[in-house]
Amino acid sequence: MTQFIQATVYGLLQGGLFALVAVGFSLVWGVMNIVNLAHGAFVLVGAYIAWKLNTAAGIDPFLGMFAAAACLFVGGYVIQRLLINLVVNAPIWMTLLLTFGLELMLVNGLIALFTGDFRSINTSYANDAFSIADIRVPYGRLFGFALAVALTLALVAFMSHTRLGLAIKATGMDRAAARLMGIPARHIYALTFAIAAALAAAAGAILGTIGTFSPADAGRLTLQSFVIAVLGGLGNMWGALAGGVVLGLAEAWGGQYLSGTLVNAIAFGVLVVVLIVRPAGLLGKPYYELRVDG
Amino acid sequence: MAGIAAAVASSRARGRRPLTRGTLVALTLLVCIALPSQLYGSQQRTWGAMFMFVVLAQGWNVIGGFAGYPSFGNVVFFGLGGYTTAVLMAKSGCSFWLALPLAGIVGLLFAVLVGIPVLRLHGHYFAIATLGVAEGMREVIINLPGLTGGGAGLTVPAVGVDATTSYPGNDGFYYIFLTLAVISTLVVWLVARSRFGYALRAIHQDEDAAAAVGIDIIRAKIGAFAIAGALTALAGAVYAFQQVSIYPGRLFDVDITVLMVVMAVIGGSGTVIGPVIGAVGLQLLSEYLRDNVTEYHTFIFGAIIVLAVILVPQGIVNFVRDARLKHGVSLSESVRAYRL
Amino acid sequence: MTRRHPAVLVLVVALAAAGCGKGQSSDAGSPTGDTLKIGAALSLTGSLAKEGQLTKQGYQLCEEIVNSKGGVSAGGKSYKLAIAYRDDTSEPDTAAQLVDRFNDQAIKLVLGPYGSPSTEAAAAVVEKNGQVMVDSSGADNNIFTKGYRQTFAVLSPATSYAKVMIQALASQAKPKPRTVVFLSADDGFSKTVAKGGAEEAHKQGIKVLATETFPEKSTDVSAAVNKAKSLNPDLVVGAVHLVEGIAIIKQSKELGLKPAGGFAETVAPPTPDFVRTLGASAEGVVGSTQWVPQVTGEDKFFGTAQEYASSFKKRFGSDAEYHSAEAAAACLALVLGTENAGSTEPAKVRDAIARLDSPSFFGPIKFDSTGKNVTKQMSVIQIQDGKPVTVFPTDQQQSALKWPAQ
Repeated sequence: MTQFIQATVYGLLQGGLFALVAVGFSLVWGVMNIVNLAHGAFVLVGAYIAWKLNTAAGIDPFLGMFAAAACLFVGGYVIQRLLINLVVNAPIWMTLLLTFGLELMLVNGLIALFTGDFRSINTSYANDAFSIADIRVPYGRLFGFALAVALTLALVAFMSHTRLGLAIKATGMDRAAARLMGIPARHIYALTFAIAAALAAAAGAILGTIGTFSPADAGRLTLQSFVIAVLGGLGNMWGALAGGVVLGLAEAWGGQYLSGTLVNAIAFGVLVVVLIVRPAGLLGKPYYELRVDG
Repeated sequence: MAGIAAAVASSRARGRRPLTRGTLVALTLLVCIALPSQLYGSQQRTWGAMFMFVVLAQGWNVIGGFAGYPSFGNVVFFGLGGYTTAVLMAKSGCSFWLALPLAGIVGLLFAVLVGIPVLRLHGHYFAIATLGVAEGMREVIINLPGLTGGGAGLTVPAVGVDATTSYPGNDGFYYIFLTLAVISTLVVWLVARSRFGYALRAIHQDEDAAAAVGIDIIRAKIGAFAIAGALTALAGAVYAFQQVSIYPGRLFDVDITVLMVVMAVIGGSGTVIGPVIGAVGLQLLSEYLRDNVTEYHTFIFGAIIVLAVILVPQGIVNFVRDARLKHGVSLSESVRAYRL
Repeated sequence: MTRRHPAVLVLVVALAAAGCGKGQSSDAGSPTGDTLKIGAALSLTGSLAKEGQLTKQGYQLCEEIVNSKGGVSAGGKSYKLAIAYRDDTSEPDTAAQLVDRFNDQAIKLVLGPYGSPSTEAAAAVVEKNGQVMVDSSGADNNIFTKGYRQTFAVLSPATSYAKVMIQALASQAKPKPRTVVFLSADDGFSKTVAKGGAEEAHKQGIKVLATETFPEKSTDVSAAVNKAKSLNPDLVVGAVHLVEGIAIIKQSKELGLKPAGGFAETVAPPTPDFVRTLGASAEGVVGSTQWVPQVTGEDKFFGTAQEYASSFKKRFGSDAEYHSAEAAAACLALVLGTENAGSTEPAKVRDAIARLDSPSFFGPIKFDSTGKNVTKQMSVIQIQDGKPVTVFPTDQQQSALKWPAQ
């Protein structure tokens, strides 16, 4: 029983971390219908910035996270404005290809700058844990989970209570109408991408503190975000959190009671079943369905 | 998409062009057949790999380019074809020449089986579902160590006393891959000219309208997926034999899917010749970069993909056609085509 | 021109251009002057970029030191060593293709790529082409069961990795561990390691409670750790590479897996990244390694192991570790083989390498009939005060094993 509860708690926390990584990916996909294959690379860039700040200036990664997010916010804006906006109206695989090219460049660039070494941001507390009746709760993951929840709440509030958030939502629903209402779509798209990139960077800083990272992780992180975004349902700000938690629990329980090598199979099995049975994802799609592209 | 149809129609009208085109195709083929004698072994291998990617890009072209269903998991057929061949040769002592068509059939059947539920999905959902199928299949293969060797891989009996078929060598594989590339291009050519091809294009344009005019859209989509599955599985089968030792990580590598999409799209998806140009061009480019810019070749390759997507988003073939129709090349117009 | 269909025209032009493009590379490979060209396909990018870089450093150091000491003297001539590096992007099929390419450029002597899958793929090509390869990192025993004649490995095979740690702990640890759990990645190398370790544990009277596997390159091994925790073993042995090795230690700390004795892991602990990423949690972890600077033996190029370590540090600024040492040793074997053969002809070099019996900074180099270096022993290290120190075999010991480790 202890084992089961331990697996559950850990899976839940792991799910929070998954969600943190995926939330930006889900946002971009939901609002702009763009699958950003460079997302994993963005996460890594964030991790490297936080790592560099930590090793060079001793800045705690939970603070470095903000600097990383700020850098990627600017970078994300520029990338969307100058590159991705150019192919937004093309068939969907064009954006796939564009972001794939970006991913190759970023990953190769990271190897050139930081080598392929494994890095980890060392803190005195991240891998420590407290116990409640033999159940271990690691601090770092708990922070990560709390942050995922906080960011999700913030994003929900931002999207439904600020002019800018509403403008993003409106552009996501019907771009042509939004433009007629005087919303500058190019700017809004770039802003959405910037927010997503900043979220990715923040996730990277936390990920780098809890685990290890190297440039080769980019593809895996993107793939994971794919699964989570679809599981949760696109365009729903709660989707990433729901998808992350479901995946975290599925992997934890699967790993506990089945062969350890089956863990990945479980993730994709759940994905395909969810897609076929409930293509809208676990939380449905409140506005994505209403989209009118044009 | 209607490019080839238009081209065929206009060439019929002017009478002399099909002949010229036929001559050129024949000439190209002759060059390809004669080429190996002029090449080093490893160059034959490189060209063989290029032809393999022609097959993969054409397979994707049928489902992605013609039907407009952006499969992101075509590598599953590649992997299945490879493992079918390897298991048949290693575990039941089959000859490669028996295993090869069986692998094609396995790919075809699997496409039908998976296509029935998955082809109900559209756009990104279809893309992700196919990706999930491919990744899931890799995990299944890893978890059947008795049959497939699991994560440790499987070795095809290619040399020594266990060998079931004599190993073809670089020139042998060159011709096998060339044959497959020609067959797959021929299949796509036939599809492009057939009623079936028009049905696929109609589905691509507007699925509901296609259904309304009496096209059996489910059968057409599954048919397209099955062709893609069979072609891709055949390529995987030959690849497995050529590699001798195969691993699930490589045989189901998502990068292979990405490459076939890149090649088909940059060449010109939905055309007959586009994927050929894309596969040949990108393979040569990547080989050249790997040889000459050891440390930064993936960076430059990535940059070229980004540029190609932005400058010629409609693919090389369509770009050239448009330029000819308008009697001039305008990159800026091409860039603006899909801009927000 | 205007009559032709543009697409076909483009294809023909592409083919023609391609033909020209490929034609150029062919003349690059012809042996030039008194240079001995050697090919190395390495993981410079992709998932094994880190290990690929370490391997490259070993090859580079070898190239520079051999050349600074007058090059390779064979048959009365002195050759400058020139290693051509190509990136296989960590894919075995690309490694095989690149080795084939070397063959066409008349490069018959080859240094191994990184990792067992790539080495296995390259070995098949080397065999077919009559090239000669010295393998610096492919330890999976599978490579040596195929009857290949042209591939030689300077390193000890996969079965030794966990075995040597079990031997060290059985003889040195007080109290001797009574139970062990193996945590293994699911790739061929790691599975062979775990199997070899379990056999040795059985022989030494240590009870194997379980072998838990997880996917290769996994950063989340929590399920395996959680299962191991419930078995409460004296010893946890990881049959892993660096990523999984770090994950085991990190997540054991999170989940409170504390074996009475301690942790032992293959591959990961001796690499500098292990201590750097884990900090204090790395303390006490036991690891097996192909090479330590305390290895006895010397050769005319690198000198002793200590001298090798200091030249490495001088050249690259970091401490020498075993991946680069394996690489330098592989290069050394190829150089010594060429010198003994008195010729750069591949068949002669092959026979000379097969007969090689030489001490070196890496330990003895002598191959059995399958191409494995069987006389060499692996060493065992333990992280003490943030540094790997050699604890086994006793003649290399820098410091006694601390047990229980933490």
